[in-house]
Parts: sequence; structure tokens; C-alpha cells
Amino acid sequence: MNVTYDKYSLMVDGSRVFIKSGAFHYFRTPGEKMARDRFYKMKAGGYNTVDIYFNWNYHSPKLGEYDFSGIKDVRKVLQAAKDAGLFIIARPGPFINAEVNAGGLPFWLLKMEDVIPRNRIGTEYKYSPKYMEYISEWYDQIIPIINEFDNVILFQIENEYATDTMEEDYMKELYKMARDRGITCPIFHNDAYFAGLWADCVDIYALDLYPYINPNQNWRQDNFCFDTLDNVEDIFRSAKESSPPFIAEMQSGWFDKWDGSGYKHIREALGDEHINIMTKTALSQGVTIFNHYMTVGGTNWDDLACDEVYTSYEFTAPIDEFGVPQSNFYKAKEINYFIDSFDFTCTEPKDFEFYQENIYSKLRQDNINHCDWLFLRNLNSEETNVALPNGKVVKIRPYDMKICPIDLDLYGCKIEFSDIEIFARIKNEAEEAIFLISDKKAKMYLDGGTIISGEQKDFNNYIFERNGKKTQFIFLTKALADKSWFMGDRIIFNADYVLPNGAVAVDKNTEIAYFDLKYKFGKKNCIVDAFSNSVETKNLHISDVEFCSPEIDNDYNYSGWKKIGEKTDAFSCDIYDEFIWYKSKIPNNISEITLSARHLFAVYINGKEVINRNSYKLEKLQEVPETISVPLNKKILSKSENELTILVQNLGFDKGFSGDTNSPRGLVSFETSPQIPVEFYVRDKLSIEHTQKYESESPYLAKISAEFDVDMREDVFFAKYVSFENFRCRRATIYLNGVKIGRYIKRRNVQEKFYLINEFLKPHNKLDIVVWEKERNIKSNWDFKSDLKNVIILLGTYKKCQLFK
Amino acid sequence: MVIVPEFLIRRIYQKGSLKRLENGASLNLKNVLGPGFISGFNYVKINDVTYEAKDVKFITNNNEIAGTDVSEENPIAFRLGQTGTLVMTGSECVLDGNNKIIIEVMNPEAGKVQLSVEDVV
Repeated sequence: MNVTYDKYSLMVDGSRVFIKSGAFHYFRTPGEKMARDRFYKMKAGGYNTVDIYFNWNYHSPKLGEYDFSGIKDVRKVLQAAKDAGLFIIARPGPFINAEVNAGGLPFWLLKMEDVIPRNRIGTEYKYSPKYMEYISEWYDQIIPIINEFDNVILFQIENEYATDTMEEDYMKELYKMARDRGITCPIFHNDAYFAGLWADCVDIYALDLYPYINPNQNWRQDNFCFDTLDNVEDIFRSAKESSPPFIAEMQSGWFDKWDGSGYKHIREALGDEHINIMTKTALSQGVTIFNHYMTVGGTNWDDLACDEVYTSYEFTAPIDEFGVPQSNFYKAKEINYFIDSFDFTCTEPKDFEFYQENIYSKLRQDNINHCDWLFLRNLNSEETNVALPNGKVVKIRPYDMKICPIDLDLYGCKIEFSDIEIFARIKNEAEEAIFLISDKKAKMYLDGGTIISGEQKDFNNYIFERNGKKTQFIFLTKALADKSWFMGDRIIFNADYVLPNGAVAVDKNTEIAYFDLKYKFGKKNCIVDAFSNSVETKNLHISDVEFCSPEIDNDYNYSGWKKIGEKTDAFSCDIYDEFIWYKSKIPNNISEITLSARHLFAVYINGKEVINRNSYKLEKLQEVPETISVPLNKKILSKSENELTILVQNLGFDKGFSGDTNSPRGLVSFETSPQIPVEFYVRDKLSIEHTQKYESESPYLAKISAEFDVDMREDVFFAKYVSFENFRCRRATIYLNGVKIGRYIKRRNVQEKFYLINEFLKPHNKLDIVVWEKERNIKSNWDFKSDLKNVIILLGTYKKCQLFK
Repeated sequence: MVIVPEFLIRRIYQKGSLKRLENGASLNLKNVLGPGFISGFNYVKINDVTYEAKDVKFITNNNEIAGTDVSEENPIAFRLGQTGTLVMTGSECVLDGNNKIIIEVMNPEAGKVQLSVEDVV
């Protein structure tokens, strides 16, 4: 595939292509099957490209080790994208941010003394030859895999990078490294500051745009958040005149944090209006390459998350974490289909003198369709009549945006002006069918004086003919449009979604309709016999409760653990797991211990808890370190030599965007009073993740087990979850068939439903939930076990669809 | 600390705008970075004189806003392209010749944002 470009668009094998891309994280949606499912849905929604970050850390657990096998086999992911008919934007970092642990940099790399991650300290540039050496190693691994796929159309170096002095050698070296390894497609970087950064170091200048990054902000009220987007064409042209306007990350959702407001709030706050405004305004600014970040939500299973985010990386994406299209998907689909219907790859801005308060307007001349497109956006809080210079009045709902054709020549007629939304167009050489979305307040004005009202029922149609050619307008209500799928030469109606092979998915008995130009309308009944309810919940039966922290037990044998030196943090221990155990012995003359640990920790002496604390705190986007002093007495230190156990839960390393990936984790400091040297032995993970026996006397960590079956039919899409809505404990780690799939910490707005990732499900499943509870909730061991046996955990089916060929 | 390179932040300051006032100084800012909010004026330092929020007012869009009235709960919008004048009172600070200026404000998303420039009077 030969990829070139000019100031308007990308060209693939000589043909202009409008790139409608969506971001997808294979590491958060593990396995080929899940990737394939999401890609098919993206394709069905009109995306033609998938943007993929390659996560160095995910593949390289140790220096010199790379794992591209099993669910980490990126070839299978890339092949699935190719099979779905998607182009690929490859983004192998080395740094990717993406709210992943350490921004995607391997832990072993961060530990290296002579490595300066990203060649910068704070904002100061500091070139690190050793860092470049390791990037070479990563590129040597990942680029040959990327090169196996000819549908890769763009390649990104670094990620949202800047320094005070903007030395170019790092970026230029990355560019050369990519080219030396055979990358032939255009190379770009995503400028987070929309300031033309690195434009001269890459082929195509691209930027990231997130107008809504503060969930406490009301973008409808503070509508100037679109100021940059509204002027983005000027930014592109002044940065690099010769390359097409490219928004490498265009907001289609936002991530939530541990102290956040919850995904429900963010989804409601953004609404469908936001993605509509973002995408249409980008079109109005001549953008011909966009990437909705994210288009597919994911899950921070295992230790994928950076410290900022919790298990769900739902991102309020058009396709949610469970793989289910949401209402912003349908809005994106409408726009994608529209772009497919009228080639938008070569347009110019055109003067348009117009002002009305809170109304954005932009006129573009279309060099391919030989018409103009008028973009109108209403940021008033009420419906507004927009009185145009041509005498037409367009009624626009609050926070809505319309694209109005002017003098658009069709086969059988000419649209003089219209504010009825165009959904899709199917055409052959003699005939075209244009699907429109009903809108009782909109009108279409045709050449010759005909006016068509937008107030129409499903499938109402109007036919116009001239010179042996025919145009048919067919109306769809918004509800039907959401369930209608444009497949190039036909449209399928009433389906939940469709696959590239034409298979349809429905969640109940449905009459599917088809339309193409040859056979017109056809129908097919789909009788769902694979399940009776597409949504359901039931209480999980707790089969077993066991205490599972033998590490805390008195006289636990830790002689096989790793002995560490004076420094106790995760880097010094060379342990990067979520859980780190520390064991030592202290005498009975200690009056106090003072420690700092990230992020949650508990101290046990002689098998008894003396403190259990959540030290996780962010203020103004910065981690707030906490040092705690714990007084000890003879009652606690009851022996001459007392067994000290510390368990630290690391919620992840900093993602490295505004903070430091190398901020310490684990036991950051530990001192005794009077000061004595303490010799620690360390080990990673909870016992249930090790093969050893884990039964214990200590009641602080308990494992709840439950089993359940799943009907895994090939013709059924399903998404399941466990819900902790009525769970009484404060912290838990969730394992599905031995794989860590979630971290539960009770907080006000944070997630209670955990996706049972399909990749890890089997016909018969075991769910283990390790509860790490504070002592105050434990009256007696028996009571605690009995309590846990009666906790309520719901097993739910979020969505089921049956597929029909 | 937020990773916005200094050279970008410096673009907000309008070169040559520093003026000596009776018992203070004024200077002009223009937002050329992107739309956002100011959620606090931490301080303005000109040469050796530090002005706290109580000594600072921001005049923009014909409104005069006291530095102490701006907070996380009451942020002010600073749109792309918007200009404003910072007025500092309390003591004289402007020198003939080169002046060192540090302005530290709060932004709800980025935290502390510090602008450090030099200007000649």
C-alpha cells in the first residue's frame, strides 16, 4: 500500500481517503476474539481505521525479554483489523501515556540508573544515549511486526512530547529509527499543545484536542472550550502548509479517576452532543484525518493501570468497556456514514460573513462534489432560529450542529439548500438512494421550487428523475437510523449491529429489513432462540471462604524470599507487582515506627494488625506523599524478637505525562525509634497467585470463592459482570479463573460493576475475591468468615445478542 | 508541576507591556495557548517585590477582578485570544532597564502554572 498526502488528505494507492479512525487498546481488550468483535463493530459504525498504541511495558516484563505470544500476540490483533477492513495507525511510543502503568515504559527501564526516560527531567531536555539504545531494542521488536501489515497507513513517534528548549535530536532520531527499520508510511507526532510542535521533524503535523477534561466543568455553559477547535485549520496551516489537517486524538469521551465523578456522570455530561460538535466542527475546519479517542473502552485488568485510574477504562467511549455500542456510537455512525456518502477529502474554506450570538458558522467549498457545505452550530441553551443571509431560517436545537448542503447536484435533482441531516447514500451509475433523518423542523429546498418537509415517517420517500438518472430520498426516524447499518451497497435496518459479512445481531425477535438498489426492500425474520432474556442478574452463591494471608502468620517461613538492602521501594526491590510483602524482625524496645508507603498498606506485628491505611491522595494532579508514625508498646511487641509484616498495595506507577514515572512505590521509607537497621525480606503478589498453599490463621485477607457456568455459543455475543453494589467490604481484588480482572476500593463514585472479560471466561468458571479488610470490621474469625459467606455479589448479564447469517 | 514547556507559557506575556505605576506596576497578558480557567492568583514577583493575591487585580473584558476573588470555587474564564491587564499595588518594583517577572496562577486541570519572563522598561 502506497500512502502519500497533500495539503488536503491522505492518499492510499493514489486515491484520496478520508480517515475516520477510532482508538482501541488491545491490552485492555485482550485476545484476538475480543479485538475482532470490537473491530467489526467499528467497521459497522463507519470507521475505516483503528488507532493502536503498542504498550512496551505489556510485552517486556524483564530486560531483554519480549512476549508476543498468546493474548499478547499483536499479529493476531493486526490481522483482525485487516480482516475487518480497517487501516491501522500504529503508535508504538516508546512512551504512550494512555493512563497505563508507567505510561507504557517497562519497569526494568525505569530502574536503570543511566537511563533518563523520555530524555527529559521535568521540562528540561537531557539526552540519554542509554535510553535511545533501549528504544532501538523495542523498535527492533515491534516494527518488524508492524511492517508485516500493509494496511498500516500512519506511524507515530513519541507521544505529546515537549521540552523547554525543544531540541530536535530526539525526535529526529526516532524518525530515523522508524525509517531505518522499514516504515514507509507518513510519520507524525501528536502535539498536545496545538502549537505546531515538531512539525519540522515529521511528515504530517498532528495535534490532540480535548476541550472537556474537567468533569466539574459544564461545557454547555462554558462553551468557549471549543475555541481552539474553532480555529484549528489556522493552526494546521501555520504549522505545516503541505500536510493534511490531522487530529490524532479527538475527544470522544474522557477517563475517570479514583477520586473522580464516575463514568455515569461523565457520559451524561458529555451527552451525544459533544461528539457531534467535535466531529462536525473538525470537518468544518478541513480536517480529513481524525481519530476518536477512545472509540472502544477497555479494562485495566492485571496491573495495567497507572495510579490515577481504576479498573474500568470505559472512557465513555462509543463502544463501551463491555463491547456494547452506546448512543454516542450512533451519533458517530451517522457522521461517518455521511462522510462516506459525500467525499469530503478536498474542501476549502470560503468567506461567509455571518454573526449571531453563540452560533458558530463555517462555509466550505467542496472541490469534489462541486457544492458548498454550511456548518452551523448552536451553543445557546434553547432552540435557536438561525437567520441566514440567503433568507433561509434554520432551527437548531441547543448544542446541536448541522451540515447543510448548498447547490448540491444529485442525479435526479439539485439541492439548493437543506438542513435535513443526510444519513447515508447508496449509488450506482444510474440511480442513487439518499437516506435522510426525519426532523419536523427542517426542510429541503430543491432547484425548481420544490420544498420537502423533514417531518416524515420511516421509509417515506420521494423520487426525482432527470436525464435518465434517478435520485430517491428515503426518510428514517432517528430511532430507526440508530439501528440502520450502511454496508456500502446496501443498508440493513433494525439490527443491534452487523458484521462485515452481512450477519446481523439482535437481542430479541426482530424483523430485519434490507435495501439495495437492485432488489430494493427485502425482509427477514430473526427468531432469537439462544436465550430468553438479554439482560439478567442473579446472586452468586459463595461456595467457600478461606483466610489467605499465611505471610502474616507467626513463624511463617520467609527464608526463600529476597533479601533487600537499605532501600525498600519497589525499584530497589525490583518488584513491580500490585502487592509487595515485607518481612522482618524487630526488638521490643522500639517505641515508634515511621513509614511512608504507596498506596495502601498495613503493618502487622506478631500476626496482629497495628495499622491499615490508604495513603493514596492526589491534589492538583500531583501525588501527595504521606508519612505516618505508629506508636508501639510492650503489648504489641510482646516478644524479645517480634515478627514484622508489611503489605503494600501499589495502584500503579505514574503515567508520566505531568508527573514522574519514577515516583517510588511500595515501602518508600521505614524508620524505627530508636533508630535501628531493619533487614527486610520481600516477595510479590498475594498467596493465591502463587502455587503454594495459602490457608492461614490470619483473618485480614480472606478469599471468597464462587463458581458459575456460561453458555458459550459461537452465535451469541454476551457481556457479563459481577456487581459489588451491595458488598459490605471496603477493598477486594477479583480473580476470574486465576486472572486478576479488577481492583475494588469503596469510594463514592467509583466503579461497582466489574466486566468479566470474555477472553478469560470458560464454560465453567471460578471467581475468587480476596478481601483485604481493616481489623475494625473483624469481631472474630468465625464471625468474619460467616459474614463473608453471606456477602451479596451479583452476577449480571449486561447484554446478549444472537447473530444471524 | 505541569509539563507545559516554558517557551509556550511565556507566549502569554505581552512583551513591552510592563509599566511603572505609582506604588506598583501593570503588565498585559494574552491567552495564545488555548481556552481555560484561572482558579487562583498565587503571586506576582517583579524583581525583588512579591505581590500576593490581595495586591493583584486582573482587568479583562472591562471587568476588574480582585486576585482574592479568584479561587477553585470561583474560577475566571480566560479564552483563547482574550487579553487582560494585571495590576499590582503596594510597593514600587519596576527598574529602569531589565526587569524579572514571575507570575504564578492556578489552573483547575494543570495545577500551578508559572510564567517567568524578562522585560525592559
